[in-house]
Order: sequence, then structure tokens, then C-alpha cells
Amino acid sequence: MRDLRTRWSFWCLLLMVLTALFGGRLFDAPPEREVAAPFSKPLWIDRDLPPTKELRLTADAPSLRVDWRFAPPSRFSIRIDSSAGESGRFVEWRKPGALAPLRLAPLKAGFEADGRDIAFKRSLGLPPFGDASASLFSEQGEYELSLSGEGDFDGSVVVKLEGGRWGVLGTDQRGRDIAALFVAGVRVSLIVGIFATLLATFLGTSLGLASGYLGGWVDSILMRIVDLLLSIPLLPVLMALAALWGKGLWQLVLILSIFSWMGTARTVRALVLTLRDAPYIEGLRGLGAPSGYILRKHLLPETFPVLLATMTLGVPGAILSEAGLSFLGLSDPRVISWGRMLHEAHSFGAFTAGAWWMLLPPGLGIALLCLVFLDLGKFLEERVDPRLRKGVRP
Amino acid sequence: MNYWGRRIAGALLVLGLVLALNFLLFRLMPGDPVASIVDPRFSPEAKEQLRRVYGLDKPLPVQFVLYVKSTLSFDFGISFLTGRPVMDELRSRVPNTAILLGTSLLLSAALGTWLGIKAALRRGSLLERCVLWSGALSFSFPSFFIQLLLLMLFASMIPIFPLRGTLSVPPPPGGAALLVDYLRHMALPVLSLVLLGFGGWAIYVRNLTVKILGEDFILMARARGLPRKNILRGHVFRTMLPPLLTIFLLSLPGIVSGAVITETVFSLHGVGRFLLEAVTGHDYPAAGAAFFLLSLLTVACNLLSDLLYGVADPRVRLERGNR
Repeated sequence: MRDLRTRWSFWCLLLMVLTALFGGRLFDAPPEREVAAPFSKPLWIDRDLPPTKELRLTADAPSLRVDWRFAPPSRFSIRIDSSAGESGRFVEWRKPGALAPLRLAPLKAGFEADGRDIAFKRSLGLPPFGDASASLFSEQGEYELSLSGEGDFDGSVVVKLEGGRWGVLGTDQRGRDIAALFVAGVRVSLIVGIFATLLATFLGTSLGLASGYLGGWVDSILMRIVDLLLSIPLLPVLMALAALWGKGLWQLVLILSIFSWMGTARTVRALVLTLRDAPYIEGLRGLGAPSGYILRKHLLPETFPVLLATMTLGVPGAILSEAGLSFLGLSDPRVISWGRMLHEAHSFGAFTAGAWWMLLPPGLGIALLCLVFLDLGKFLEERVDPRLRKGVRP
Repeated sequence: MNYWGRRIAGALLVLGLVLALNFLLFRLMPGDPVASIVDPRFSPEAKEQLRRVYGLDKPLPVQFVLYVKSTLSFDFGISFLTGRPVMDELRSRVPNTAILLGTSLLLSAALGTWLGIKAALRRGSLLERCVLWSGALSFSFPSFFIQLLLLMLFASMIPIFPLRGTLSVPPPPGGAALLVDYLRHMALPVLSLVLLGFGGWAIYVRNLTVKILGEDFILMARARGLPRKNILRGHVFRTMLPPLLTIFLLSLPGIVSGAVITETVFSLHGVGRFLLEAVTGHDYPAAGAAFFLLSLLTVACNLLSDLLYGVADPRVRLERGNR
């Protein structure tokens, strides 16, 4: 087992598990928080697009200059916090090269406006359609935000400019950070993949042991059930069960494991069939050992090495099934998973927005996790059966 | 009972179990099935009337017999959502699903077999490595991710293919224009299924061919001086046929499941998406019907492959007992 350390998949899995456990701490906000404009591109794409910015006027800094070298921001909003009421003063906005500043808003406590408000656009003398930010940021150069008139000002004016770029991986249709969602999704895939396979292995092992050791009618009934379950289309059954039994994470684990124990049962049964008539088992039976004892102490341990490999190779199936069900929209909408992210990308306009950055992280994440488990499974299989190793001929 | 009889009996048994499962799945769910269509303000008499219309007032075994009778005559009742007979809804969708699955299955099988044999004949070549990689990728990448990527690339960024649907809205007039429009909509789904399907198929064929090429009878055929073409066609391909039919059989349930995903990604008017809409909309008659049709398709294809196996490999007909 020591050369496990030389496998890339081992380190990759370790990283994923650590991410699932502690990844949430990398972000200040919970993943479902809306942090920026919808469909913001990743920061490292398109440098002409503006980043998200916040301009703040306070008593200490009653005016500030912005050097703007980008396209207009995709959203513009202004909020005024002050204890004073009507003061007759204004928040002003001076475009580069303009002589007179534009009166943006009255300096009034509790004033709030958004670039999409029709009343706000009318007060600026702009057409009622579109976002005001396009005409407020019509040029590139140095802009100035200031207060008109004289006197003290207690409170703050906050102008929020939501850019078209945000974070490492951009944002989704609701403006949530995709990097945070991605990290939150690792956990669901790992939980479902590992626990569904554990449960399925448990089911498959017990039924396979019973079928192989007892034989007779138990065997034929169990193998008939295996044949039946293998011949019905799996996904429609899973869909129906997910819709009927509820969409929770643990219900999903249960449903997936009920329909994926068949392969393990067959493997264990075949193994037990070859061992059942081995001389040492026959000897034990001759000595009067009860069936339960033989099964527990001699047959079960024999299956462990094989089980370890089949179990690891079974995890990708569970991960892909969970992703498929979530993609079809049959998962709990409150639980963030990679399948769910792809579902939202598909049904909430990522295609019309051309938002490819919503597709790649979850899809590649699923594929990477599956490859990791496939590689680990292959490694374990080679341990169990050294003939499978490269260059070794039987 | 002979081989054919046993196979048909087996298929009928599976069909019976599917019917039972289908019946139980949509009856034993929590809550009253009528509850979803009954307004709480309805009078008790009206509720009773509705229960009678759907046959829910009779005991469970009687319901089951009635259910089997109506299902086998393809009478699936009335959809809760649309209020129209489920069969009418399905009739327009079955051809789309059949064309989608049939075309892609045939294409990927043909391409996979051809590439697999080629790869086995040229061991260690670039072609063989490509085949092995494409197979590994199609095992680990979720099918809908590949399809979404294709859709993003070829319908959104480079708009060669339409983004959604089976026909344009409104559909173009005239037979030829309609056909072209239909083909344009079906091209990307079929292409994606072929792309996802041929890799696994090619790997399987390659492994089979490599094994067969090492057999003594191939050496013998070579020693007799038979032309390469004849060896490939008469010896290699003929020996490969029965196991190929088996893998065809085993891949069918997965392909039918794939129809749900594919039709959802490309918003096609097919049985798979109908099932999804019925399941999410708690439309039990519709969901039951779609589920039954998909299972029927699987069982029928299984039986067909079994029977073909009997023709291709006459030895199995002599074997006694179960598979």
C-alpha cells in the first residue's frame, strides 16, 4: 500500500476531501449569497470589462475621482445614509472634460436609486429604457463624484458599480460566486458517491453471500431479481422514486444504493461459489461449524480485497447518477451540487448569455472526481490481482 | 420448453414484474392521488365521483387487474396536467425518440466496430491510443456535460444548429423544408449520442478482436493462405457477432435512460422529456405510461437480441436450463 503515495489520484482525492471539509472558509460569504451582477465573467477574461467597485463619500472625503478605462458597468446603484433630512444639496457627477457636473441625486437621508429605475432615469433626463450606467459612463477618463454646496455632512453616499467581471470563476444567473458554489458542490458529490456505494456494497455483499452459500431457491430468486433490476431502465425508476420519496440528500443516497447493489452481489456470489466446496470449508462443516460462523469468519474476509476494488470502481456510477438526477432538476433546490449548477445553467439562460464559465467548473469537477475514483479502483484491483499490473504476464 | 419458448417466457415474466412495479410505484406513494386534482372545496360526493372515474374506489387487486387490462390495450387514461388522453400526447412523441435512439445507436455501433477492428489490427498506433482515450473519456464524463458543451459551442457561440426543440416555431411550410428543419434540429442530439457511444463500443470490439486474432483457427486460416479480407469477414467478424449482440443487449437500458437526458438538454419533443415533465408535475397517469413504454422498449429489444443470439450462435439453443 505504500506506493499509494505515488498515485496522482490519491493526492487529488485528499485535496478534494480537504476542500469539502474546509473549503467554505476560503470565502467570506456563504455560497448562496448574491455577490455581483448576474453572469459576470471571471476576472481574468476580457480586461475591458469593468470590475465590481464601490465608491463611498463620507464627511472626511466629500469628493473623489475615478479613473475609468473600461466599458460601462453592468449595474449602477446609489444609496445615501445620513441623519440629516432635506438639505438642498446634491450628489454630483462630472464626466471627463465636461464643464458642468450632472446632478445625480438630492442629498437626502434614505435616498436609494438603481440604474434601472425609470423615475431615476427621468430625473437625469435619460430615455426610460436601458440602464442609466451606459450614459453615466459614456466615456473613458477621469470622473468625479462630489457633493454640491458647502457645509458639514454626516453619513455616507455609497455608489455601487457592478462590473461584468467578478472573482476567479465569475457569477451565475443570480449573481452568486461560482467558485464558492463549486467548492460547496464537492461535498455533495463526495457524500452521495461514497455513502451510496458503501450502502450498496453492504446490500450486495449480504445478498451475494446468502445467494452463493445457501443456493437453492434463495439463489434462484435473488438472481432473478438481479436480472430484472439489470434489465429495467434505471434512470426512469430513479426519477420516479426521487419525485415520490422526496428530494433530500439522504433519500437520494438510499434510492441510489437500492438500485446499484447487483454487480457486487454477482461478484460475491461467484466468489462464494468457488469457495463453498473448498476442502477447508468442507472440513469446517464436517466439524459442525454453523453456517453463520463459516460465513462470518471465513467467507466474508475472503471477499474483502475484491470488495475494496469494486467499491471504489462503483463510486463514479453513484456520482454520475446523482449528477444526472440533479441535472434533471430532481434534487433539493436548496442543496448546492454540481449537477444542480448544470441544471441552473441549462434552464436559466446561460446559453443565451453565452456563459460558458457556468458549465465548465461543475462538469470538469464531476469528471475529475470520477477519474480519481477510477484510477484508485484500478490501483486497488492491481493490488488484489497482481496479474493485471502492466508488464506482468500470467 | 425449447430455447425460443424459454426466452419469450422470460421476457413475459419481466414485463409482468415491470407492470407490477409500475402499478405499485404510482399507487403506494404517500398521499391520495386524487388530492392533487381535487380542490378542497369540492363536495364529498364530487370527490367520490372522481375516485370512481379513476377507479380508485375498488380494492387493490381489482385495481391491478383493471390497470393491466387497460395498459396492455395502450389505454393510459387521462393526463392530470393537460386533461387529454395520455396516448394522444405520446403518439406524437414516440417517433422522435425512436429516430433519435435508433439512428445514434446504429451509427455509433457501426463507427465503433469499424474503429475497434482497425485499432486491433494496428496495435500501438496513434489510432489505437485515440480509441482507448475516447472510451475512457466517455466512461467518466457525464453525458449531459458533453452535450451541454456541444450545445454551447455549436448552437450558442457558433450558431450552426438550433438551440432547442424538434422543429422551428412556427414550422416552415412544405414537405422538403420541414424535413430539412427537422434534420437540422436532430443533428446535434444524434451527433452527441454517437460521440458519447462509439468509444465504449470501439474498446470492446478492439479487445474482442485482439483476443480472436490470437486464436488457433486464425493462424490456421492464415496458413491456408486465405486473403486478409476473408479472414476478417468470415472468421473474425463472424466469431465476434454473438458477444456483440450481448453487449448491445446490455447497453439498451442505459441508452433508454440517456433519452431522458438528451431530450432534456436539447428540449426535444420525445417520450423521455415527457416522462420528466410528468414526474416533476406529479402527473401519475402520464408518468406511468411513459415508464411503461420505455420498459416495454427495453424488454422488446432484450428479447430481440436474445432471439438474434440464438440465430447467430446456434450452440446456445442446445443449452439446458436458465442463462
